[in-house]
Amino acid sequence: MSEKFEDHQIRDKIQIDYKYTMGGQSKFFIELMKNKKLHGTKCTKCGKIWMPPRKNCSECYTPAEWVEISHTGTIEVSTIVWYGAAEFIKNVPYGCGFIKLDGVDTALFQGIFSENLVPSKIKKGRRVRAVFKKPDEREGKMTDFFFVPEDEYEIWANKPEFEGGE
Amino acid sequence: MPKKVAIIGIGITPFKARYLDKTYFELAYDATKLAFEDANKNGAEITHKNLQSTVYGIYNELFERQFMPDIFINSYLGMNNKSGTRIATGGATGGYTVRMAYAEVASGISDLSLCLGVEKCNDCYDEQTGTTTPEVLNAIAYSADMTYEYPMGMMAASSYVTMVNAHFEEFGNPTEEQMALVSVKNHGNAINNPKAQSPMKITVEDVMNSRIICYPFKMLDCCLYSEASAALILANEQKVKELKVENPIWITGVGAANTDCFIGNREDMGRLYSNIYAAKAAYKMAGLDYDKIKDQIDCAELHDAFSGQEVISYEELGFVPFGEGGKWIESGGPFMDGEIPCCPCGGLIGCGHAVGATGIMSTGEAALQLRGDAGKHQLMTIEKGRAISHSIGGPGAAYAAVIVMANEEGVKKP
Repeated sequence: MSEKFEDHQIRDKIQIDYKYTMGGQSKFFIELMKNKKLHGTKCTKCGKIWMPPRKNCSECYTPAEWVEISHTGTIEVSTIVWYGAAEFIKNVPYGCGFIKLDGVDTALFQGIFSENLVPSKIKKGRRVRAVFKKPDEREGKMTDFFFVPEDEYEIWANKPEFEGGE
Repeated sequence: MPKKVAIIGIGITPFKARYLDKTYFELAYDATKLAFEDANKNGAEITHKNLQSTVYGIYNELFERQFMPDIFINSYLGMNNKSGTRIATGGATGGYTVRMAYAEVASGISDLSLCLGVEKCNDCYDEQTGTTTPEVLNAIAYSADMTYEYPMGMMAASSYVTMVNAHFEEFGNPTEEQMALVSVKNHGNAINNPKAQSPMKITVEDVMNSRIICYPFKMLDCCLYSEASAALILANEQKVKELKVENPIWITGVGAANTDCFIGNREDMGRLYSNIYAAKAAYKMAGLDYDKIKDQIDCAELHDAFSGQEVISYEELGFVPFGEGGKWIESGGPFMDGEIPCCPCGGLIGCGHAVGATGIMSTGEAALQLRGDAGKHQLMTIEKGRAISHSIGGPGAAYAAVIVMANEEGVKKP
């Protein structure tokens, strides 16, 4: 005689709070938050500029030094997200992609905003410029800034919740 | 000299959206039991008491709601007081687990090992939408770099689509229609796999009309997350003889490579470099040639998490030159009657993606093809007696593993 199966489900949640250190990368976040400056690092041996920054060059095993990076760059590749994790569903659709900031050897993943968010507007080769949150909104996190097509820079920099770089 | 290693038992549970009647360790038990039944059907007479070690493939603690889930499986499988090691390499967990279980047996530290993968993702539940997927994706999203990339919305789809889009920028393919063909093929192949979660007879148009997920990936370009387990029993040559196993499938090559997890650090963002290095290493070990691999294998179980990424993988695994993947699927190359049938079981898109179990299922499926035991989705032409399985995972498919298998006893006509 087989017993009829009845399932039992339990509601649960895992939550951990953090106050984590950015260690050797701290300066990037401090400069972003306080001065709207983007800092990468340059290997003292091979000269490669890392962005996101690394305090040590992974290729030369040599220390890298801080260098200020341009607010402008070129989109290497992008996408528009329409569905995703619970954390981001409230933001869809959103644009994001890899941006090679001028003079940097690596590409940085960032949000790409546009008044007209269509693939052609944020495609490879488009010039983009950084826009920042207002000082009291900046927390020293990557979400303190984003990129917009250069021809929309004035529009975004003049919105009440954002500002341009210096 | 490494010892020769064979797959002597294969156990795969059905891939389903939800098992309300089984926990992850109960699923693991089912696959293990199926693997013993398979080995014993083929001449061995073994139980869990004969195993000397286990290598576990389990990707995500948040899915299982349990750190070190392997030790709880170990208890449930009656494997106490033997070595059990867990591998966790994102979507490539299965392939890497096969590689490490191979290494245990090849090195001689174990004569008979269990290679066990399991995942049960849909216990995650998003209260806001009353569905599981957004919370499953949340649990996966923590696989991206948590400081620089996760906060910007980097997820599995947005990470993989980046490489596909960069590839398109360079070569003009895969086009959306070429990607859709992968979905048509894999959902279609799954119709003949009774264990598949997503069997469907669909058209390119159906794929094109499905809802947009992450430009240009649409719903039907993406695999579904599954709950399942898969197990392989691996034995060295002496054990194979001793147990009088009738149809061992030899693992002749294993290759793995971790490329840069920051896609922006890669020389070319339209490449899954991990695929190239893993494939070359596996083929070399098996005595095969990257440039001639198309003529040396009968079929491939690929990691098609997303349709466009399967097309790129054709190129990186050496089936066709760079830039010709799109054309190859248009010409029917990876279909069941094509040059190298890819994902006869339906792959991730058709069969499902139970992360830790997936690469072990793929390896088991390729081995079943070589044995002539794949059932309704058995290929009609197994001539070379060799097949590969392929696993990728992590941010930007930073992890890749390729396994080469061979049937050296002669090919049994299906």
